[in-house]
Amino acid sequence: MNRRTKFIAGGAVIVAVLAYMIYAGVTQSAVYFVTPAELRATAVPGKAYRLGGMVVPGSLKWEARALDLSFTLSDGTATVPVRHKGTPPDLFAEGRGAVVEGSWTADGYFKAGLIMAKHSEEYKAPHDGTQAGYQELIKTLRGDGR
Amino acid sequence: MRRLWRWLIPLAVLPVLALLAYGFRVDPRDIPSPLIGRPAPAFGLTTFEGTPLSLAAHRGKVVVLNFWASWCQPACYEEAPVLERNWREYRDRGVVVVGVDIQDRREAAEKFVREFGLTFPNAQDLTGAVSVDYGVYGVPETFFLDRQGRIRVKHVGAVTDAVFRANVDRLLAEPGSP
Amino acid sequence: MTVDFGYGMTLVALVLAIYGAAAAAVGARAGRPALVESAQHAALGVFVLITACFALLTYAFLTFDFSVRYVATNTNLGTPFYYRITGVWGALEGSIILWSWMLGLYTLILILRHRDSARELYPWALATMLGILAFFLLVMTIAAPPFQRQVPVAADGRGLNPLLEDTGMITHPVALYLGFTGFTVPFAFAMAALITGRVGDTWLVLTRRWTIVAWYFLSLGLLIGGWWSYHVLGWGGYWAWDPVENAAFMPWLTATAFLHSVMIQERRRMLKLWNIVLVILTFGLTLFGTFLTRSGVIASVHAFTQGSIGALFLGFLALVMLTALGLVAWRWEALRSQGELDSVVSRESAFLLNNVLLIAAAFTVFFGTVFPLLSEAVRGVKVSVGAPFFNQVNVPLFLSLIFLMGVGPLIAWRRASLENLKRNFLWPVVLGVAAAAAAFVLGVRSALAVLTLATTVFVGTTIGVDFVRATRARLRVGEALIPAVGGLLRRHNRRYGGFVVHLGILLIALGVTGSHAWSVQTEATLRRGETAELAGYRFRFDDLTAVEESNHFKVVGAFTVSNGRVLDVLRPAKKFYPQEQSPIAYVDYRLGLKEDVYLVLGDFARDGTQATIKLQVNRLVSWIWIGGVVLTLGALLAILPERRTA
Repeated sequence: MNRRTKFIAGGAVIVAVLAYMIYAGVTQSAVYFVTPAELRATAVPGKAYRLGGMVVPGSLKWEARALDLSFTLSDGTATVPVRHKGTPPDLFAEGRGAVVEGSWTADGYFKAGLIMAKHSEEYKAPHDGTQAGYQELIKTLRGDGR
Repeated sequence: MRRLWRWLIPLAVLPVLALLAYGFRVDPRDIPSPLIGRPAPAFGLTTFEGTPLSLAAHRGKVVVLNFWASWCQPACYEEAPVLERNWREYRDRGVVVVGVDIQDRREAAEKFVREFGLTFPNAQDLTGAVSVDYGVYGVPETFFLDRQGRIRVKHVGAVTDAVFRANVDRLLAEPGSP
Repeated sequence: MTVDFGYGMTLVALVLAIYGAAAAAVGARAGRPALVESAQHAALGVFVLITACFALLTYAFLTFDFSVRYVATNTNLGTPFYYRITGVWGALEGSIILWSWMLGLYTLILILRHRDSARELYPWALATMLGILAFFLLVMTIAAPPFQRQVPVAADGRGLNPLLEDTGMITHPVALYLGFTGFTVPFAFAMAALITGRVGDTWLVLTRRWTIVAWYFLSLGLLIGGWWSYHVLGWGGYWAWDPVENAAFMPWLTATAFLHSVMIQERRRMLKLWNIVLVILTFGLTLFGTFLTRSGVIASVHAFTQGSIGALFLGFLALVMLTALGLVAWRWEALRSQGELDSVVSRESAFLLNNVLLIAAAFTVFFGTVFPLLSEAVRGVKVSVGAPFFNQVNVPLFLSLIFLMGVGPLIAWRRASLENLKRNFLWPVVLGVAAAAAAFVLGVRSALAVLTLATTVFVGTTIGVDFVRATRARLRVGEALIPAVGGLLRRHNRRYGGFVVHLGILLIALGVTGSHAWSVQTEATLRRGETAELAGYRFRFDDLTAVEESNHFKVVGAFTVSNGRVLDVLRPAKKFYPQEQSPIAYVDYRLGLKEDVYLVLGDFARDGTQATIKLQVNRLVSWIWIGGVVLTLGALLAILPERRTA
């Protein structure tokens, strides 16, 4: 085998390995974007999804002690119950848009591992309009802090 | 052959550029609405002036339903004059613009309506029920409804003159309800 | 008034830049030095005008001039003085000014340094620089004008994005942009080389230092970005493979490849074509990065403005890439190699492999970043790949690269003999294997951690072996230890600067591996006086108070951290800004060499009796920042002028 062939063979091996790694990486970590209606129609338990919708007012339950968060996401035609273990992120509230990542369970709910708090300059998730309520909060919690 | 082959180097970037250009056609934040083609969910709200506002009252017209908030700067601030201008231009031709203010404080929203001199009906969605029915993910979002009251187009982000005209003209050109 | 004046200056600068670019090009073509000189004056004028624009905008920020729309949207009466200055480049329009200003500065330095030294290449390089500057000024006039009237004049502004109210924010964009814009200079010389057909080593030698300078700033920018993410964003991580981060990382990878392949061209006259393509690619990727962050084509945590700016950047990117690569095709014959690879086991092949791996890494990052677009274009489904993809594909690549860091600098040129291999690599291999075995015996079961440790020890030893050997050689000729080491670093500053950079990378690799393999976290809801435990630490919730600041108010929790004895009181908070619809988390942490204790306040009861916190013990993260400091010091050493006759 002469040098040229050696280098070409080496290059081919590298390209092949890389292609395989990318292929394997994509198939293992692809996350599908769906709306509640699409999820209802096509959900496969165990597959990773990114689900976007609105948090239905009145559906949000947050058990602080047990760290259980549950709510319903809607896109106007279908709703999906979602459960999450952990604190709701800052941008999260009823009536707002939310994107959750996780999987559909055989028990009929969406198990979210991650609730995404997207930060955007222009296009914002809605406000809960309770800034006025914070004034009260200042009064009850007033102290020197740091 | 060899001479031609080397021109493949610059040509290799063309597919990449084409892909990026394609990116302008899709908005990554645009969540496809399953509502397209369906009847628009009905609602009954009260405008800031205190008159009732419902979709049913505008059946037979082309409706431009705009979701906004006073804190949504600058997109809502950019589109407010556009909506007002086009509303004045099209109102006599069977078009109505309806504004729904969501997740907002009443004073701030009223100030917004006053400052931009908005004359089309605007109401506050106090419970958030309307925005949930329409699957509004953020503001501004605008729905174009045809004369049969079906949702035909969902537009995410500020409405421009071009977007307004293109959609409304197309819906106006369609035959009206029987 | 401010708006008219600023906009006017921008327009004049644009006209001057276009004139300068044309004058330099015509002057170079027709061989008329007077025209080139006139272009230099134009460049100076452009720089002065941009500086004035920048000063004017800063003044508008400081005086709360809300008749300027950009000021009204990025500051308000409560914004503290310091952040009114950094707010100038907090958003798109201001960052374009900063970018143009830096480009203008680099153009001036280029004129001062190369006016007399590179007669043939210089005018074309100047023309390229001014042409690119003209593009950015065009963006400033039509797509993202910082000087735009706010009608009606706002009584108060909207305020700066609270996430940007941080010291990291002054330095991160500045360093990043100095890096990005810095790559324009090598690109300009590459273009000059292609246009004139002088594709030999001259342009390479002229731009080598420039590339290290740009690389230095880009590295600094990436590191500060990681630090900002770690201590501001409150998710306990420093790198998320977000499109915006990827955008800055890709040119870093290609530039790193270039810094290495340059050495082969200098030594062996090979890879001329490859080098020129790398420089073009790096510059193209800096434009691509800006396009990506500013066009809104790909969703990102740092979602930025949409609008005509994306199309403008794409058009310019297309123009630049097609022209530059077209020139490469045109000069094809001149770019062919003179030397040839002699052996598979040689320094050339080690460097070549290093380049291939770096480009492969850049490609996978690119692929993952545009994957959502690709899948939507080809299959019509919205799919994305997240951090797991990038980690899975890149970890083997980076481990191999680190391994090569040990091999490359010591293996012989042309063809390595068995003797050479034994002499240089026996000890490093032995120690590397020993480290792996020791780690395994001590109970480390993560394959990745063991491999990284072995590789790191191997590379660290090669650097040590080389350094000790070189110092000994100097000691033998009678020098004292300190001057010997000093002289070594000074005389061969590029080589040892490179070694120091490698050491920094090793530390970063250890930090990254440690934080991935051993960090732990949990969440807990506590009532006052209750305690949570994690990794031997106890966290007691003491108190919750509210504090008012000039432009926001915050709710601060107090948590006593102890591990047998009281270590610290951490005060994570939530900040509420009137202009933002949701609170912003304020992290508190206790940094340590072994581990950081990191606390985020999640939720709290309105009466202050109960709080939910996220607790993290992040292992070895500090070594990333230490490695970063070492890396930048090494780059600085490599930038120093070479002194061959000391």
